[in-house]
Amino acid sequence: MSNLEKYQHIFKESFQYDGDLEQLEYQGIAVWDSVGHMQLMAALEDTFGIELDVDDIIDFSSFKKGKTILAKYNVVI
Amino acid sequence: MDLPLNFDINGIKACQRNRHPLLFVDRVFDVIPGEKASGLKCFTYNEWFFPAHFDDEPNVPGFIQVESLVQTFIMSFLSKEELRGKKTNFLSINNVKFKRKIVPGDTLTIHATLQSFRRGIATGSAVSFVGDAPACSADFVVAVPDILDQFKPKSAP
Repeated sequence: MSNLEKYQHIFKESFQYDGDLEQLEYQGIAVWDSVGHMQLMAALEDTFGIELDVDDIIDFSSFKKGKTILAKYNVVI
Repeated sequence: MDLPLNFDINGIKACQRNRHPLLFVDRVFDVIPGEKASGLKCFTYNEWFFPAHFDDEPNVPGFIQVESLVQTFIMSFLSKEELRGKKTNFLSINNVKFKRKIVPGDTLTIHATLQSFRRGIATGSAVSFVGDAPACSADFVVAVPDILDQFKPKSAP
C-alpha cells in the first residue's frame, strides 16, 4: 500500500467517509470535530511512525494541508 | 509528593467535577498519577436509586456500576496537578461485563489502569470486586475537552 493509499485509508476509517477527500476540511463533516481530530492525529502517528508537533497538529486543517505537513516528517504522500 | 496518593471525598471533588447525586466513589487510594488508581464505593439503602431499582429487590443499576468504574479511572489522570478539576466526557465504553448483583451493604473495590493519555484522550480499563468476587469491568476512552481544545486547527471557529 502506498503512502497515499494509507493516508486516504486513515481518513476513510477514522471518519467513515466516502466523499471527496481532496475537499475535506476540519469541521467540514460532523465527525471531524476536536475529538475526531485527535483520533486522526493518533492514527497518522501510529501508521507512519512519527510524532507530530503541536503546531503541526493545529495547522492540520484539511486533507490537502495534511500532505504538506507530513512531508516535513519525510512522509511523502 | 509521596506516592502512592490517597484521596478522601473532598480530595476526589477537588480532582473531578462529578457531584451528588452522581458521584459514585467514596475514597480513592493507591494512586500513581498517569498510571493507576483504586477506589471504594460503599452502597447503603439510603442511596436514592434503591427504592426505585427495585422496591422488592434493591440492587445497583448497571450504569451506576459503570460510573463507579470510570470515576475511579479518571482519577488516574485527574490526580495530576495540571489536570485537577477538569471536566471529562465519555468517548467510548467497551467490553462491559457484569458478574454479580450489588446490593445494599456491599462495598465495591475498583482497580483502574491508564493505558495512555495523549493530547486529552485517556484510554484504559477498570475492574471491580465485592470482597474477592468480580463484580463489573469495562474498557474506557475518555476525553478532557479543555485539553482537546488546545489542539484545534486554526480554521476552527
